Amino acid sequence: MTDEKSRRIGVVVCQCGGNISDYVDTEKVREAASHEPGVVSTQVQMFACSDAAQQDAIREIREKKLDGIVVCSCSPKLHLATFRAMAERAGLNPYEYTQVNIREQCSWAHTHDPAGATAKATGLVMAGIARTARSQPLEPIRVETLPQALVLGAGVAGLRSALALSDLGISVHLVESSDHAGGQVMRWGDLFPHDKVGAELVASLVAEVGRRENIQLYLGTELVEKSGRVGAFSVRLRTFTGDQIPLKVGAIVVATGFEPYTPKPDEFGYGLPGVITLPELKEALARRPKPLVYGGREIRSIAYIYCVGSRQSADDGTGHAYCSRYCCSATSHISTVVNGLDASVKQYHLFRDVRTYGKYEALYESALRGGSLFLRYGEEAPPVVRSQDGALVVQVKDRLLGGEEVELRPDLVVLVTGMVPRDNAALTRVLKIPVGQDGFFREVHVKLRPVETVVDGVFIVGTAQGPKNVAESVQSALAAVSKAGALLLKGYVDLDPQVAKVDPNLCVWCDECTKACPYGAIDRVAYGDKEVAEVNPILCKGEGACVPVCPKQAVSVLGYTHEQVTSMIDALAKEAV
Amino acid sequence: MTDVPATSGYDVLVIGAGVGGMESALSLGDMGFKVLLVEKEASVGGRMILLSKVFPTLDCASCISTPKMAAVGHHPNVRSLVYSEVDEITARPEGGFSVRLTQKPTFVDAAKCTGCSLCEPVCPVPVPDEFNYDLAGRRAAHIAFPQAVPKKAVLSRRGTSPCSFTCPAGVKPHGYIALVRAGKYDEAFRQHLEDAPLVGVLSRACYAPCEESCTRADLEGTVSIRGIKRFMADRYYAAHPEPEYGPPKVLSGKKVAIVGSGPSGLTAAFFLAKAGHTVTILESAAEPGGMLRWGIPSYRLPKSVLERDLKNITALGVQLHTGVKVGSLEALRSDGYDAVFLATGTVGGRTLGVSGDHLKGVYDAVGFLHDVNADAPPDVAGKNVAVIGGGNVAIDCARSALRLGAKQVYLVYRRSREEMPAHAWEIRDAEEEGVHLACSWDVDQVVGYDGRVWALELVGSSSTGGKGRKQALARDESRRETLPVGAVIAAIGLTPATSPFSTEIARAANGTVKATPETLQTSLPYVFAGGDDVLGPSSIADSMGQGRRAAFYIDRYLRGVELSGTVFDDPLPEVDRAQVAAEARTDAPARLPVPAPRLAVGDRIASFVDFEAGLTEEEARANANRCLDCGICSECRQCVAACPADAIDLGMRARHETVTARSVVLATGFSPFDARQKPAYGYGRLPNVITGPQMDRILAPTRPFNAVVRPSDGKTPSNVAFVLCTGSRDDQVGNRLCSRVCCMYSMKQAQLLMGSLPLADVTIYYIDIRAFGKGYEEFYRQTQGMAVSFVKGKVSRIEPTDDQDLLVHYEDVEGGGGEKVARHDLVVLAVGLLPNTGALKLFPDGAPASDVHAYISEPDEELEPGKTSLAGVFVIGSATAVRDIPDTIVHSEAASAQVAAFLKRPGAKA
Repeated sequence: MTDEKSRRIGVVVCQCGGNISDYVDTEKVREAASHEPGVVSTQVQMFACSDAAQQDAIREIREKKLDGIVVCSCSPKLHLATFRAMAERAGLNPYEYTQVNIREQCSWAHTHDPAGATAKATGLVMAGIARTARSQPLEPIRVETLPQALVLGAGVAGLRSALALSDLGISVHLVESSDHAGGQVMRWGDLFPHDKVGAELVASLVAEVGRRENIQLYLGTELVEKSGRVGAFSVRLRTFTGDQIPLKVGAIVVATGFEPYTPKPDEFGYGLPGVITLPELKEALARRPKPLVYGGREIRSIAYIYCVGSRQSADDGTGHAYCSRYCCSATSHISTVVNGLDASVKQYHLFRDVRTYGKYEALYESALRGGSLFLRYGEEAPPVVRSQDGALVVQVKDRLLGGEEVELRPDLVVLVTGMVPRDNAALTRVLKIPVGQDGFFREVHVKLRPVETVVDGVFIVGTAQGPKNVAESVQSALAAVSKAGALLLKGYVDLDPQVAKVDPNLCVWCDECTKACPYGAIDRVAYGDKEVAEVNPILCKGEGACVPVCPKQAVSVLGYTHEQVTSMIDALAKEAV
Repeated sequence: MTDVPATSGYDVLVIGAGVGGMESALSLGDMGFKVLLVEKEASVGGRMILLSKVFPTLDCASCISTPKMAAVGHHPNVRSLVYSEVDEITARPEGGFSVRLTQKPTFVDAAKCTGCSLCEPVCPVPVPDEFNYDLAGRRAAHIAFPQAVPKKAVLSRRGTSPCSFTCPAGVKPHGYIALVRAGKYDEAFRQHLEDAPLVGVLSRACYAPCEESCTRADLEGTVSIRGIKRFMADRYYAAHPEPEYGPPKVLSGKKVAIVGSGPSGLTAAFFLAKAGHTVTILESAAEPGGMLRWGIPSYRLPKSVLERDLKNITALGVQLHTGVKVGSLEALRSDGYDAVFLATGTVGGRTLGVSGDHLKGVYDAVGFLHDVNADAPPDVAGKNVAVIGGGNVAIDCARSALRLGAKQVYLVYRRSREEMPAHAWEIRDAEEEGVHLACSWDVDQVVGYDGRVWALELVGSSSTGGKGRKQALARDESRRETLPVGAVIAAIGLTPATSPFSTEIARAANGTVKATPETLQTSLPYVFAGGDDVLGPSSIADSMGQGRRAAFYIDRYLRGVELSGTVFDDPLPEVDRAQVAAEARTDAPARLPVPAPRLAVGDRIASFVDFEAGLTEEEARANANRCLDCGICSECRQCVAACPADAIDLGMRARHETVTARSVVLATGFSPFDARQKPAYGYGRLPNVITGPQMDRILAPTRPFNAVVRPSDGKTPSNVAFVLCTGSRDDQVGNRLCSRVCCMYSMKQAQLLMGSLPLADVTIYYIDIRAFGKGYEEFYRQTQGMAVSFVKGKVSRIEPTDDQDLLVHYEDVEGGGGEKVARHDLVVLAVGLLPNTGALKLFPDGAPASDVHAYISEPDEELEPGKTSLAGVFVIGSATAVRDIPDTIVHSEAASAQVAAFLKRPGAKA
């Protein structure tokens, strides 16, 4: 092991253009770092991540022959990869790099205490230096990837991503839990904005899937087990007959879709005859009834109530706070479809905000041109739907008329229901991917990695990730394909070498670590005349559950060895005194 | 910039390096395809990098953008070309596309530039900073923005400024004007000295063609360029009686003889000596200067100024031998000179060629002016004097005669006043001083009495039509006049003094030496000639230009380099003066000329003292401030001096390249709505009405003011209004569509404002709040929770108050209706985004189809995102429909899958 006193460490303190330096005295932090043993170079940069600042750091690494570098900036979630790549370009082993988070943990957390934020940043930097002083070069674990993908869900997003993967020469196992492919779109008629028929659209995809030799469609089948790692997952499917199918795949695309919101009994009169949901209306209109009849009665007027199951105040904790995105455009569109069937039907839209974003504004315009009336209700005074003498009565305070109470007697009340997440609990358990507060699967970062999850090689697409229309679902489906393509076409992937390692001399095989490991990455092997634990570095995620349970301190995680962590704690403690 | 070896065959061409283009290039590069990413700006990053934070996560825009920007700069499969434009894309018969592109010149060698920014503070040309949406200024030499990738300087150049383009001496007036404007007077002088040594002479006696070409002349009147030069020369000479330099340290060992010490000889000597050659000037007269000394009266050029200018040349070690008559070029050769520059100038004028032209009292102009300058003038006091001729020399003679006490001075010219070759202002000055013009008269004879001039017999004369001196003359015998005069000065044409060399080199019939116009080399290879010897009688500036040109080629000749294969002076094309003038015509107050003060006429003609006073420092700077910076970069070369890496290259020119690409991705983004198209909102007229993008700059970490302030007075705003749907959902401006991002970015700005100005009131005027994306509604709630007030209503107009606050008139839809007025101290117009149709022009054989809104269309939007109507051509992000950042990124990645499928389609050739 290198003697930390002889190390040549560089420290870069980032101002993040004020995000950090508005609260943390970056010059003071740099100054403190410069006195640490082993530190031979310190810099302050406005944006350490900018290309120019990276060039500066690279020059410093080369000229001063640095053997370790610490960047004090933001969360490693944002820029760990950035600076590792920088170290690599400079000829430094990327695992000799330590990121210290003085933004989320200091400047942003302590905006009212600049001195405290600075002191905390200094402590964290000292700890980072201590860790780096005991770092060792590590080589990534290169493993092969299989040109096979598992796609969960054969709705429009799943079907389209299966085809796109197949286009790239990646074999696809397309798994659908129901007994037919096509998803929700299958039941819909005209879709906005181009009046394509939903059923025809998915039918064309299903037919094409059938023609592809490298796509295998499994109906009535579910994923029940997943293990392994990115590039080579072992999965197990269970068919509706109970058969188990084991597969090896390189990547998994989750396209399990949404559920339409089902109003609670009596929510806006749901349950009364003539009160239906938007999907129900869409399904009805797909049959193009003429004259317009629903449930046996002729429809002369329709009242749409928007935002049912969406944009609900989160106060009671049960509602859906988010906007379902597609419903305003879909409802504007469907009113023009109604117009096309019978232009004399009166249509009232009880809305909150008309969210026909972008080009969909044209749909709203068409609805207005078609004679639709828009009445705005406030969240605090939702419309009331009741039945009176067998007829429907809708009362609403129209904010556009200064809150005047308006009473409508429509033949049909359509509750414009949003999208809600499916019950993903089982899948979440199997895949270990997180869901967000809204209940939909959560991406790593909405801008940096919008279809990737925290589990490498598992992607989320379509409405499983959040409300989307057809085109948007397909876009995310294909986005995942380009990411999976980048992963699988290369044929290999480099895994993080910061994994656990057992010192066989200390290990006495007590089995504690095996029990703690969630990945089954620890094997029992012979070592001389005893048995010891050995970590399979390909399966290990480096999360370190095995470390604290070991009574002999025989196991530690590379990059976070006992010595490193102890020295970090010492450095922090020293600063606190 | 690129780590990838340049190749000409790419899998993908991506046009536009905004967030979508970068994502597309990276994802395709990750899949193993060779990508060429072309960006027209000087940095990758597009519009996103200019934002403060981004909704709904309030991530810092820089933090999200910079890693992608750095990645495209370093990706092994991506070559990125910034400051470049795709000119044309055509389909190749064998498949794929042929792409013509142009790398625009940055005038900075990217390989040498380290991004140190030292060129910026020394640059004297301010330019509105487009990356700060014109909220602040930058310099012509600049780095696009702090996080630019590549971080390389760029000089903004639009062409050569007309003044610099026009100057025959090769002086760059724009350069020294810009430096004088910046108060850098010594630098201004030194910059001039680099181009021409006779700074003082030019500042007094040049006819200043630059002033005629000055764009400001098309507006309120020219910048007094010569006046500025005189100010800077006088000031410098007062402070520096001697030059600041000595002879060069390294000598070439070559000897050059220069025959004649007029403006061309002196200029050639200066440049040749600077190049390290040993230069000797051989002058036949007793004192050096040629026409500058003997031809220009001292009321126009004081001798002291000439003497000081001469030091600029002699300080370089140039030997000046006066009183030496050169009779043979061959003799010079045998004296050891390796090259000769012949610049003897003109000796004397032609005679009038009429009877009586040899009478006493008839002088030729050169002789007359010589005697005047030698302080031995002929006695014309109290006499009537006739000067024959209409050129500048005639004017000099006439005005000198006045100063010698002549009773009346007549200028007799054969053609009309309009046809006089003298400069209009010279004629005007002469008339002002009392010279009588006798135009359209010819001399029939000089009448003598007792051997002396007694009168002139004049006859009517005029051109036969047309314009110029080549027109034939017609005598009009019906008009005759006798003018009683005591002296006649003939100023009708000068002859070069080249006769001694008639046997050695080829000459033309008029006595000029035959020399190659580009190189000025004569029929004897070691002899070059210039100035009047080649051009015939010419101006000082023209002669100096010749001297400089000759020096350039003599130097090459001495170094044994081919004379051909180079161009002496290769300026950028002259800027379109009419266009600059049109852009400068604003409502701003007129900038009137600042003329140099002059002596009263009576005082002027009483002696040969300077008739014009120099400009004061204030006047000179006021004048310089009138410069329009036509070419943007002034070519002052301060950056050249400041650059430690020697990276500035003003000679850089556009580079054209043709590459092939198997597929094309159009990532050309959007055009922001120009808020001036909503005149009722006052943008561009009311300083405190700004746009959303400007507000983002004010809030950004790299903000121009480091505080939230309003433009008119730098006050911290306390009551800010956002006007949504400016240029969106608005048939009046031709954009019915919703721009998708404005609600959200306005709420983001409102949140950031509340963070930095917790006590400020913030009002958002909206039609609908469109918070439709993942996490957006939650963001809306959060904004409401921060006490931002939301008012549903369309703003009809915005009017200013006396203290620059703003009265916002709006329709109060939910508050009882009707028009209401609210007062704010800053208004932010949430401008929308419009289609950018530029990419459609790149396809001469038929562009991809666009939709009714002018966006590039995706014929199968639902199932085939990113595919255009042309196979192999893809479109991403806002080029096909306005998108926010998350949607753009997803769309770009989706299109990458489409491109990959296209490239891997069965039968596709790699």
